[in-house]
Amino acid sequence: MKLIAELDNLADAFAAELAGVASAAEAESLRNVRLGRKGDLAALMNRLPELPAEERPAFGKAANAVKERLNRLLEDRLAAFRAEAEDASLSRFDPTLPGRMPERGSLHPITLVMEEICGILNNLGFETVYGPEVETDFHNFGALNFPDDHPARDMQDTLFIAEGIVMRTHTSPMQVRAMLERKKPPVAVIAPGKVYRRDYDLTHSPMFHQIEGLLVDENISLAHLRGVLTHFLREFFGADVKLRFRPSFFPFTEPSVEVDMSCLICRGSGRREDGKGGEDGCRVCKGTGWLEILGAGMVDPAVFAAVGFDPACAGFAFGLGVERVAMLKYGIDDLRMFFENDLRFLGQFVK
Amino acid sequence: MLLSMNWLREFIPYTDSGEKLGEQLTMAGLETEGIVKPYEALRPIVTGLVAECSRHPGADKLSVCRVDVGDEVLDIVCGAPNVAAGQKVAVVRVGVTLPTGLTVSKAKLRGAPSNGMICSEFELGLSDEHSGIMVLDPAVPVGKSLLDALELDDEILDISVTPNRGDCLSVLGLAVETAALTGLPLTMPDYERLSGGTDASPELALEVEDGGLCPLYHGLIIEGTKTAPSPGKLRYRLNAAGVRPLSNLVDATNYVLMELGQPLHAFDLDRIRGGRVSVRAADAGERFVTLDGKERTLTAGDITIRDAEGVICLGGVMGGLNSEISDGTRRVFLESAVFNPGAIRRTARRLGLHSEASFRFERGVDRTGATPALERAAHMMAALSGGYVRPGLIKKAADEAPRRPIRFHREYAEKLLGVQLTSPFCEKTLRSLGCAVRDASGGLRAGEENSAMEWDVTPPARRHDLTREVDLAEEIVRIYGMDRVPARMPGVTRDLARAGLPESKSAFLNRVGHWGRQAGLNEIIAYSFVGGKELDLFGLPEDGRVPVLNPLNEDMDVLRPALVPGLLNALCNNMAQGALSVRLFETAAVFTADPASESSVREEVRLGILLHGARSARAWPPSPGDLDYLDIKGLIEYFLLEFSLPAADFVLSGADAPNLFSPCVDIILEGASAGRAGRVKPEAADRCHAKKDVWYAELDLDYLYGLYVKAVTLFRPLPVFPPVRRDITFVVPRGTRAGDIAAIAERMKSRIDTDVRLIDCYEPDGADARNLTFRLTFRRPDRTLKDAEADRQRALFAESVCKTLNVAVQRPDE
Repeated sequence: MKLIAELDNLADAFAAELAGVASAAEAESLRNVRLGRKGDLAALMNRLPELPAEERPAFGKAANAVKERLNRLLEDRLAAFRAEAEDASLSRFDPTLPGRMPERGSLHPITLVMEEICGILNNLGFETVYGPEVETDFHNFGALNFPDDHPARDMQDTLFIAEGIVMRTHTSPMQVRAMLERKKPPVAVIAPGKVYRRDYDLTHSPMFHQIEGLLVDENISLAHLRGVLTHFLREFFGADVKLRFRPSFFPFTEPSVEVDMSCLICRGSGRREDGKGGEDGCRVCKGTGWLEILGAGMVDPAVFAAVGFDPACAGFAFGLGVERVAMLKYGIDDLRMFFENDLRFLGQFVK
Repeated sequence: MLLSMNWLREFIPYTDSGEKLGEQLTMAGLETEGIVKPYEALRPIVTGLVAECSRHPGADKLSVCRVDVGDEVLDIVCGAPNVAAGQKVAVVRVGVTLPTGLTVSKAKLRGAPSNGMICSEFELGLSDEHSGIMVLDPAVPVGKSLLDALELDDEILDISVTPNRGDCLSVLGLAVETAALTGLPLTMPDYERLSGGTDASPELALEVEDGGLCPLYHGLIIEGTKTAPSPGKLRYRLNAAGVRPLSNLVDATNYVLMELGQPLHAFDLDRIRGGRVSVRAADAGERFVTLDGKERTLTAGDITIRDAEGVICLGGVMGGLNSEISDGTRRVFLESAVFNPGAIRRTARRLGLHSEASFRFERGVDRTGATPALERAAHMMAALSGGYVRPGLIKKAADEAPRRPIRFHREYAEKLLGVQLTSPFCEKTLRSLGCAVRDASGGLRAGEENSAMEWDVTPPARRHDLTREVDLAEEIVRIYGMDRVPARMPGVTRDLARAGLPESKSAFLNRVGHWGRQAGLNEIIAYSFVGGKELDLFGLPEDGRVPVLNPLNEDMDVLRPALVPGLLNALCNNMAQGALSVRLFETAAVFTADPASESSVREEVRLGILLHGARSARAWPPSPGDLDYLDIKGLIEYFLLEFSLPAADFVLSGADAPNLFSPCVDIILEGASAGRAGRVKPEAADRCHAKKDVWYAELDLDYLYGLYVKAVTLFRPLPVFPPVRRDITFVVPRGTRAGDIAAIAERMKSRIDTDVRLIDCYEPDGADARNLTFRLTFRRPDRTLKDAEADRQRALFAESVCKTLNVAVQRPDE
C-alpha cells in the first residue's frame, strides 16, 4: 500500500503548495508540475503495474479521485485569482471619463426649419422648386401685378443689379416661373430660398429666407387656403394652434390675407407667463394673443393673365418668413445670430 | 395715418373705445398698430384764476401771484412777462410731473414761497411757444382738469394704411369705413360759409396744358387775410395728427387735408406774377427753389405750376419759396387739384421729397372731393384770418371717362371665398361702401324678397382699387369677416406628367446638407453680398463681378463670385471666440456676369468647405494633429462616394489658379473641373486670425448634380476566391507622386485583378527621398491564386514602376 500512501502524500503536499502560490501563473505552473501529463501524479499512476492485479482497480479509482479533487482545488484557486483581478480592474474603471465622440456636424437652423416646413407641404402634394435669386423686373414685380411707379413697390425696398434686374425681394417670382413652366393647372409648388431687401437694422436683414406656396387647381377657394395653412401650422407648432385671417394687401393676391397664429407663449391669452399680466402682458405677442406669421391670398387674375393661364382659374398663394418661424420655434431673440455663424450657436440645433 | 377719435366722432356717432374701433379696423384690413393718448400727461394739470398778481419786491422779472384753483388758493411765483391778474391759466401743483419731465416742487424764490407753477404751452407739450404763460379762454371754469377744459381727452389710433387704400388717408375716409363696418350713419358736419366781393375768376387766367398730368385744377381767392397763429383746438388737433401747426392760413390747408384727404396748396396771390397760372410739365434742367429752401433741378416728367415768369410750385409735391405764404400775406390763391399718381411718385422719389400731399396723390385722391375740400378750406381760412372768400371758382378739368359698372355675381364670390352669402348682405355691403348697385338679374317685384344673383356695381370715385369683380368679392369678405372663412382641405391633384422625373435639384441640395452634417461639418449661411475691396484683398478676379447698383454699404456692394469670403469671415468670427477646431460648409449660389443670361447674371450653386485647426476638438488626450490637405481631400472623396459619383483626379492647378490658394488643386471628374481645393495663403489666413493652415475646397454642385442624376448603382458580384497580399516599398525622389505609382497598376493588363493601396509614407529627416509602401492585393476571378503567381505579379509591378519612374525598390535588409 506504499503507492496509496505516496498518493496521499502527494495530495497533501499539493494542497500546501497551492496555498502558497501568489499568482494565477504560479498556480498554472504548479498544475503542470504536479497534475500535468508528465507531472508527479501521472508518474505515480504510471507505476500501477507494480501493484498486484487485484489492488489495481482500487488504486486507479483513488488516484482519479485525488486528481479530480486537486484539479478542483486548483480551479477554485484560479477563480479566486480571476475574481481578485476583476475587482482590481473594476476599481480602476471610471465610467465618468468623457466618451470619444465622432466629429459632430450641424445643419443651420434656417435649413432645419425650411426642411421641416417643406416636408409637411411635400406630404400634402406640393413639389419643391428652386429658382434664381437675381430676377428680372418682370418675374419679381411686373407679372405679379406691381405696376411701374406704383406705391406698392415701396412695400419692398429693392436692391438693383441693373435696369430691370433686381435681387428678388420675395420668393413670389417662383409662382410666375412655376406657372410659366407648367403652362396650365394643376400647379402645386413650394419654393424655399433667399430673398433680399434694402433694409438693415436690428430687426431687418438685407438677406433672409422665405417659403412660397402656390396651389392652382379646380375650384380652389379661400377656405382651402385656410385649410392648408391650418394643417401646416399645426403640424409645425402643435395641435392647439389657432389661426386668424385678416384682410390685407398684396398686389398679386386678391383677396389678400394677413395670417396670425395664436401666441405660442401665452397660448393666445395675451397674459404674461407668470400670470402677473402687467401693462404690456405677454412679451412675445405684446399682449394681443396673436403673432403675425405669414401673408397669403387668392392669386390675382392679373397674375394668371401675365403667365397665360385662364384668368377664370383659381388658386391661392402664401409666403412665409423663415427667420421669424425659426425665432419662434427655438426662442431666438436676435435676428443677427443667424448670419454670424458662431459655432456655439450653430451646434445647438438638431431638429 | 393718425386718427383722432374726437375728430372721427364729428362724422359718425361712434361711442365705443378707440381700442374697440382699432380692433374692428384691423380685422377689416386697416391694421391698427398702436393707440396713444397724446395729452394724457395734462390730466393732473388744473385750470386756475390769477386772483392777485404783484411785482416781486426783490426781483424785477418775477411776479408773485395768488392763484385760485378751485379747492384752494396757491402762492405761485411766476417769471413770465405776460402774467396778469384776472387771467385763466394752467396750473401745476406741487408733486406733479410735466410732459417735459420736470416735477414741480415747493420752492422759495428770493424769499417768496411758490407752491406750484403756471405753465407755457411749451411746458405743457402743446407747442413751441415759451415766451410767456398760456392764457386760457376766460369762459373756462376754475379747478377743472386742463385735459377736459381744452377738450384734449382724445385717443389717437395709428393705422397702417395699405397702398391700395388711399381713400382711408383721412378722417372722412376712415369714417366711411367705420360706417360700413358698424352700420352707423355718416354725417357731414356743417361748414361755416362766408363770402364776399365780386367774382374773382376773371382775375386769374388758368391754363392746364396736359389733362393727363393734371385732370383737375380748381382754385379760390381769399382776400383780406391776416396771418396769425391758429386757435388752440386746431393746433392741438393737427399736432396730434402728426402735422406741425404753422399759421392760420397753412394750418387750414393741412386741417382739411387730414380731414378730407384732399391736398391743398396756398399761394400768396400778390406774389403770382402776370395774373396767370399754368400747369404743365417742367422743362428738363429747369431749376426751382422749393419751400424748404433747396434748389431742385427738374426733369421733363415733373408737374409744375407756373406764373407769367416761371415755376412757382412743384405740383402735388412741394410749393415754391417764391410764392410762399408769409406773415404779410393779404390775398391767397388756394389750389385744389388732382395730379397724375405715377408722375407725382416719380418726382417725389427722385427728389426724395415725400410729403403728406405727394403720399396721397401717389395713391389717388377722390376727384369728386376736390371742390368740396377747396370750399371747406377756403371758408375756414377766411374765418381764421378775418378775410373773405371771393365768389367764382377758377377751374379747369379734363373730361372724366365715364365709370363703367362692374358685373358682380354672388356665386362667383361664394366659389372664390368658400363661404355662403345672401343676396341682401351682398347688396347692403356694396352700398355701405358707397357703390351704386343695380340688380342685373331682372329686377325685383314689389314685396318680393331680395334674391338677386348678379348686380351692376359702380364703385365711388374715391375707391381707385375697385375695378374688377374680384375686387368686389374682397370687399364682401372684408365686411363679412375674413376670419369667418372656414378651413377646408383641398385635394391636391398630382400631375401624372411629372411622375418619375429625376430627383429635383432642391432634394439634391438637401442631401448635400445632410452629407455635410454627417461628415462632421457645421453649416453656415453667409450673406450673398461681399465688399469689392474684400475680393481685391483676397486676390479674386475682377472680371465677371456683379456689382449692386444701390448697395447698403461698401462691404456689401458686389454679389459673391465664390463662397470663400463668407467662409473665411465665419472662420474669423469663430477665431475671435476662441474656437480651436473649425470645420464649416455652405451650399449657396454664387454670381458672375453673363450677358447671355436673361438676368445678365449666371448663378451657380456651390459647396464650400473650410477646415482649420485641430483635427478633433473633442478628442482626449488632445490629438496632436491639425487638419491638413488629406482631410479636405478625404472629405471630397467621401462626398463623391456618397453620391455615387466617379472618383476624381486631383491635379495641381496651372497658372490660372486663384491667387488666394497655394497649393491649389483642380478636382477633375469625368474630364471636367468639378471644383478646387487648396490652402489659403498665409497672408489671407492671417487676416482671419487663423493660427494654423486653412484648407478650403469649393465644388460646383450644378455640375455634380448633373452627374448625380445620371449615376446608376449596379450590383457587382462578390469575389469567390481569396486574395493574396504582398507589400512593396519604393524609395522615390521628391517630385515623384504616389498617384503615379498607383496608376501604373491600373495600366497593367492581366487576368489577375490588382488593387494597390498606399499604407505608409516615410520621410527621413533631411533626406531627399522618401519611402512609399504599397499593399498589393491580387486575386483571380476564376480560381485561387498561387503564392508563386502573386510573387511574380509583384515583381512585374516593381519592374514596371522602377523602369517608368526611375525609382528603386527597397531591399528587405535596408
